[in-house]
Amino acid sequence: MLLPLLSFALILQAPAPSRTPQRTIAVDEAFATQAHLKVGDHVTISARPGVPASAAESVIVAAIVRRGADPSEVARGDFVTRMHLDQLQRISGYGDRVDRFAIATKSAADIDSTLARFNRVAFGFRAYRSRDIAVETSRTFQVVSRFHRAIGVITIVASSIFLLCIMVLKVEERRRDIAALRLMGISRASVVRSIVTEAALVAVLGSALGIVIAWIGSLFINWHYQALYRTPLYFSIITPPIVVMAVGLSLLLGIGAGVLASLRLVRTPPLALFGR
Amino acid sequence: MRATLAQASLIRHRGRTILAVLGVAIAAAMLLDMVMLATGMRESFRELLLSRGYDIRLAPKGTLPFDTDATIPGVGAITATLRGNPDIREISPVLGGSIHVTSGGRDVSAAVIGINPAVQGDYELLSGRDATDSGAIVANDYLLAKLGAHMGDTLAVATGYDPQTRTYSGQRKLVLTGRVKFIYGAAEQSGTAVRRETLEAMSPEKADRASLFMVRVRKGANPDSVRSWIETNIPNVTAISIATAIAEVDFRLSYFRQLAFILGAVSLFVGFLLVTTLVTVSVNERAGEIAVMRAIGVSRAHVVQQVVLEGVAISLAGAILGLGLGLVTARYLNAILSAFPGLPMAIDFFLFQAKAAWSALGLLVVAGIGAGIYPAWRAASLPIAESLRREAIA
Repeated sequence: MLLPLLSFALILQAPAPSRTPQRTIAVDEAFATQAHLKVGDHVTISARPGVPASAAESVIVAAIVRRGADPSEVARGDFVTRMHLDQLQRISGYGDRVDRFAIATKSAADIDSTLARFNRVAFGFRAYRSRDIAVETSRTFQVVSRFHRAIGVITIVASSIFLLCIMVLKVEERRRDIAALRLMGISRASVVRSIVTEAALVAVLGSALGIVIAWIGSLFINWHYQALYRTPLYFSIITPPIVVMAVGLSLLLGIGAGVLASLRLVRTPPLALFGR
Repeated sequence: MRATLAQASLIRHRGRTILAVLGVAIAAAMLLDMVMLATGMRESFRELLLSRGYDIRLAPKGTLPFDTDATIPGVGAITATLRGNPDIREISPVLGGSIHVTSGGRDVSAAVIGINPAVQGDYELLSGRDATDSGAIVANDYLLAKLGAHMGDTLAVATGYDPQTRTYSGQRKLVLTGRVKFIYGAAEQSGTAVRRETLEAMSPEKADRASLFMVRVRKGANPDSVRSWIETNIPNVTAISIATAIAEVDFRLSYFRQLAFILGAVSLFVGFLLVTTLVTVSVNERAGEIAVMRAIGVSRAHVVQQVVLEGVAISLAGAILGLGLGLVTARYLNAILSAFPGLPMAIDFFLFQAKAAWSALGLLVVAGIGAGIYPAWRAASLPIAESLRREAIA
């Protein structure tokens, strides 16, 4: 079986069984759903549109397959049919040709030497490492990834300012409590420590809540886009480094804001904090 | 009076106000960018499709223009059928392929389109002369730079490269007559154009075939009914109107539109929350002051207006700052997305439209008013005597 690289092979509806042994094809799940095909159905295929069913070849749908997760195919919405190589070559008029060969080596260490040998002696084609081809075909996703990173940086800056602002406001709200503590004889260091601890606690609790919201959001995003693009790919993944970074950042900002605001408040005379 | 009091309140806590304005500015920048992303991409694509006035594209059945190597046979017969519809004003068949160009010892492969220069809608002539005769070729700057070729040079052009025998099936000497810019071309794509007859002669297997037909409809005619008519009368093509093409792009790039919507909503919410928090804290701090104002006869409406004004002032200042910031970040983000392989140079993901800017500004002002409502309501409903007593005890 070969994944047909010629995208113009079409399937026409024609439930006309033939007497000669029929060839089989496999269609992808999305196509089967859209064309209401099931295993055992007879269909006719042609490389050109508009060919009457009588002039096209009849085949049997032998399998309905689910495509692997290929980022380069996301959003294209193409349907893929797998058929026997010789049949595809015949109906497409491609002759004894293929678009590419896939070769598995016995061990990973052989790849470089095999590549070098092929490219030294081969005439008319060139051998590539699968990994290099994957890099080339995933250029679209590299762009999307760069875009996400840029959006991420902007979001982090915005969230940092937001967090800083909120934390400063929360501490400033406590000016009378701080004044009371200072008048009772509690040292400046103790006041700063208690405020910073409180700020850190708020930051950690906020982060925990944020992670839960992000996890629910991530579930929704994956559910939505997997259904939209009919792919098993994950669009949003929460990894431990992301969690560590988010918690670390909010902790840092919380402590920073707590230190800044509390230092400013403990340096102000307690009576001034009371507005006297 | 209300404005003066609101201003005084904001100036009293300068640092806090600056921080809030900065927060709103970033939220506004993000909001503007997301509004631009959500609407700009579609608008930019629509402008691109309409730039040459062609309303309908015909591609081989089941494909999009130049999405595959498939071609449509019977150019003459299809053209004659199309001419039978009085609503069709102009038809431009285009044949696509690839060529090898040799100049100064360099062999460069490039995309080629075979067109009729009189009705072509694929490129703009920048300098020189169009490919009006069969021995002429026009090329884009990217290819000219790669070849080091100049106007008037004779180029050895070949099609049908067979890697097995390293031979070409069709070879011609063509004179470079013009420098062009391909409307649908990507930034790093070598492109050329010749007369369709020239390309057909070089690739006999493509005789009387086209990769695409571009159809212009008569002014006042409905492109969608012409599209339906074409699909009925020419069964081996897919007719794509501007609306169909935009719908397809919408689907393929729906991810960006939805991302824009989500991030835009989050930005708006963050801005709203920031202003609400700030104004609420400010109102709590001034509970005594507000009670005194109420005690000396200042109306509730006055207090409400003053507090709402504070929220609007922060939002407005942030929005104005954010619009500038948003334009800068939009440019940066657009530069990232422009690197999409095969994306036409003319497509902008972040297209600035005055409407988008006004929408972002309007949303922020509405959010600012909304953000001031809760603290204003709290301020206006403070029990005067109790607030004064609490203030006196404190």
